[in-house]
Amino acid sequence: MRARLLLSAMFGALLASAAMTAANAAARWDGADDLPTNPLACGAGGAAAPVAAKPYNGGRAINPPDKAGKEITIVDVPKLIGIGYFNATTKGQQEAAKELGNVKVTTDGPTEAKIDEQIKFIDNYITRGVDGILFAANDPVAIAPVLKKALSKGIHVVGYDADAEPDAREWFVNQTEFNGFAKAMIDSMHKEIGDDGAFAIVTSTFTTPNQARWIAEMQAYAEKCYPKMKWLETVEAQEDNNLSFNQATTLINKYGDKLKGIFGMTSVATPAAAEAVTKAGLCGKVAVVGGATPNAMKPYVHSGCVKSFVLWNPIDLGYAAVYVMRAVVDGKLKPGDTSVDAGRLGKLNVINGSQILLGPAFVFTKDNVDKFDF
Amino acid sequence: MTAAAITTAASARGAAFRRLIGQEALLAVAIIVLAIVVGFINPRFLATRNLSDILLGNAYIAIAAVGMSMVIISGNIDISVGALIGVLATVSGSLAVAGVPVIVAWLAALVIGVAVMAAQGAVIAYLRIPSIVVTLGMLSILKGGLISVTGGRWITDLPQNFHLADLSVFGAPMPVIIMVLATVLAALWMRHSPRGRAIYATGGNPEAARLCGVNPRRTVLMVFALHGFFAGLASLVYATQLRVIQSNTPQGLELTIITAAVVGGVSILGGVGTVVGSTLAAILIAEITSALVFINVSPYWTDALRGALILATVIADILRRQRRAAQGWKR
Amino acid sequence: MSVSVETRVFRAPPWLKRHETVLAIILIIALVGLGLMNDRFLTLDNLLDQGRFITETGLIALPMTFIIITGGIDLSVGAIVGLCAIILGHSWKTFGFPLPLAIAFALFVGALAGFVNGFVITRVKVPPLIMTIATLALYRGLAEGVSQAHSVRGYPEWFYFLGQGSVFGVPAQLLLLIVLIVIAGVVLDRTTFGRTLYAIGANETAARFSALPVDRVKLIVYTLSGLASGLAAWVLVSRVTTTRMDMGTGYELDVIAAVVLGGASIFGGSGTIWGTVIGLAMIQLLKNGLALTGVKGDATIVVIGVALILSVLVASSLERRQD
Repeated sequence: MRARLLLSAMFGALLASAAMTAANAAARWDGADDLPTNPLACGAGGAAAPVAAKPYNGGRAINPPDKAGKEITIVDVPKLIGIGYFNATTKGQQEAAKELGNVKVTTDGPTEAKIDEQIKFIDNYITRGVDGILFAANDPVAIAPVLKKALSKGIHVVGYDADAEPDAREWFVNQTEFNGFAKAMIDSMHKEIGDDGAFAIVTSTFTTPNQARWIAEMQAYAEKCYPKMKWLETVEAQEDNNLSFNQATTLINKYGDKLKGIFGMTSVATPAAAEAVTKAGLCGKVAVVGGATPNAMKPYVHSGCVKSFVLWNPIDLGYAAVYVMRAVVDGKLKPGDTSVDAGRLGKLNVINGSQILLGPAFVFTKDNVDKFDF
Repeated sequence: MTAAAITTAASARGAAFRRLIGQEALLAVAIIVLAIVVGFINPRFLATRNLSDILLGNAYIAIAAVGMSMVIISGNIDISVGALIGVLATVSGSLAVAGVPVIVAWLAALVIGVAVMAAQGAVIAYLRIPSIVVTLGMLSILKGGLISVTGGRWITDLPQNFHLADLSVFGAPMPVIIMVLATVLAALWMRHSPRGRAIYATGGNPEAARLCGVNPRRTVLMVFALHGFFAGLASLVYATQLRVIQSNTPQGLELTIITAAVVGGVSILGGVGTVVGSTLAAILIAEITSALVFINVSPYWTDALRGALILATVIADILRRQRRAAQGWKR
Repeated sequence: MSVSVETRVFRAPPWLKRHETVLAIILIIALVGLGLMNDRFLTLDNLLDQGRFITETGLIALPMTFIIITGGIDLSVGAIVGLCAIILGHSWKTFGFPLPLAIAFALFVGALAGFVNGFVITRVKVPPLIMTIATLALYRGLAEGVSQAHSVRGYPEWFYFLGQGSVFGVPAQLLLLIVLIVIAGVVLDRTTFGRTLYAIGANETAARFSALPVDRVKLIVYTLSGLASGLAAWVLVSRVTTTRMDMGTGYELDVIAAVVLGGASIFGGSGTIWGTVIGLAMIQLLKNGLALTGVKGDATIVVIGVALILSVLVASSLERRQD
């Protein structure tokens, strides 16, 4: 009977896949892009390693019109619009624009995190003729050609949150270094689950550049400093709340007592993982650590389910990006400079040649989470 | 003559139903066999907690698939349902946060769901624009509209009693109750009530249906309105499960729902299929997703395997029907 | 027998021309309107640029028109684009093929994927919607599995010509598209193959009884659809200089929107390449024009959705009045 055919096919597929898993044993934690990792020193206060000054490696706008001191119109094209994180960066940008008084900034972008759509948006704004473009890239390489086109037309290009290839933009405002974020995450988890706790990771997709780099750095740092902590597996959950919840629940059910902690790598995955732990009645027994926005995490922090989560202030990030753009247009930030003035944030340092560092990762806890609203 | 036609039609439908019991049985068997096989590899899969989590976490897909099955059986399709569920969840949540009594917030989701879908149904039935065009357009309108209005701001601070999905009746969780009730009631209605059977007639052969006294246009309108109701129910379960509502369009949801309906034996040619099949299929797909994690399939291959299994199920279904049809011919 | 088939089909063209004319008029009105609101829109530079962006969906829309004329559909095209992009990159980088061979292999895989669709649709008789929904998941999953989530970058300079280069000012991929549009139009209008497509869409059983090679023709169109997706993948990778496994996501809806907008009936039996081209142009130029005028992303897709429904409404009600 054909049903038997179907069933044997299914069975066969399952066996084949079980066999495929043996090959998975070598286990990278995810699909990163084989870039070198640079784990920080172990232990508390293992501050950022002294960074050797690198030569400027950004691109240059070609013959930009001189608008020093004059009003400029810039556009912000984030990965996608319609999520809280980029609402916050927009808020910061608007704040900076108001303070500066001579900057007009609009946020526009695709409704899904697709690089192809983002390229079209940027291209349209090049045609419209803006003075500057802020971006958070869905893919660092794919976005390069259109950004270079912008530079060749004399449009200034500054990135934030997710970088492009260095020569496709002039500067990149880095919210926090990948290895710093990774250290904060692993340290927070280690604090809760101890030296030989086992944990799993819920991420969006393996090809989201930032997530992939963080996980790679987390692996390097954990292997260096807490070699007995055990990584169980990493699962994908797109950017969907319910899917992340289901995946986290599956992990909890699969590993039972063995699972001591869950990392959420996106602002969607972390609250969903916290919810899964709450629903399973395992608050306090399974730690949840991740990157997340405060509003989504407040219920779990207040209930004690989540002790800490890591992020930076995206409002500050957007704010800094606009100040950097203004400085570039005014000629106050030039290749070779080592710091830039960013309004209420003070002086921000230049690292890695053409990156401007916002600061260390910020750890939210019960004591400070209520102060924020994003 | 009409009575004879209806009787023949009825017995033909009876035969069709008998054929279809095959697909439901096939799915039920697949669900059980899969559970046993995976349980053998990793016994934790069979824990009550896990099995119920699979059901709870995916009930909303099965509920939406009930409405979708009706749409497909009537010979149409709807690709806007995912966006609509996102919108309804946001509306319901926003109302609750604004202080509106939760019953009203829940009802709002149902009412708006029916209204939006009925509007589409009217355009499809009376203005005779193909359903794929109308729902494709509506998908864009809903998606863009949702972002324009909410700006993607997540809805937090939901009142405690909003969480419908947390309630339970006699120990059975609400999502499962809604799923079972929706499936059973819809199945019975479609099988035994003239209006329900009219859906099959409309999808199978609208002209013949009209000759039998069925109004295809009104049937399509009714089908879409019902679909909106089930989408509303699904959105309630979807929205009330977690403490935050994402207020965006759940990605790929319509495809999952359509896949559940299709794997459940609903034929896109219209006129064939049952909602019991689509519910079982939704459960099976959810089970496969979980199973692939339990048996340690390399995460890079999970999607491919799920796709392969869906394909195998679909092919097996078609082959099975052809065998039955061939047997029918011989008689 | 063949005479009666031809007569049946020849009665169709005047009706077809009606829909495309209406659409072309709507398009021109929209263009003029947007051009008036914005002085950068109707420049040669901008239009050629948009031509670049239109190519990937355009390439796929050609065989999709054929498929929809036969009453079928192919939802797996986007996934095939992703799969071919991955195969292109990985067979070059990971398996070590020379790049031209990798490109050819990617096209072959695309055609093969389409062939599998067509084979199961014609031999096992799984309805196209169902089959291609299943292969949509399968092919996308294969892309992820083969790539192990790595992307491939660093292609040699000559590779980027197709996606980024120009010939006498016209984008290279646009030239490719134009050539294929002409070929597809001729095939559909002037060959037996084209007439068979219409016959299958109008009444498949009658077509079979007319001794038309229905199964072979269907197999060919689905294979072509896969091949076109592979071609689109090549253009895309060349344009964005990298490969990602999520490339092509959502293409199927864009393509189907263009074809349906262009007048093809989803039930089969009607549609033209010319209509599809107008549909494509309309959607892309609307998006572009609105963006240049200052309408933001979320509002733009609402307008596109409304425009889609309204255009089809207007075109088909005018059509019906002529009947």
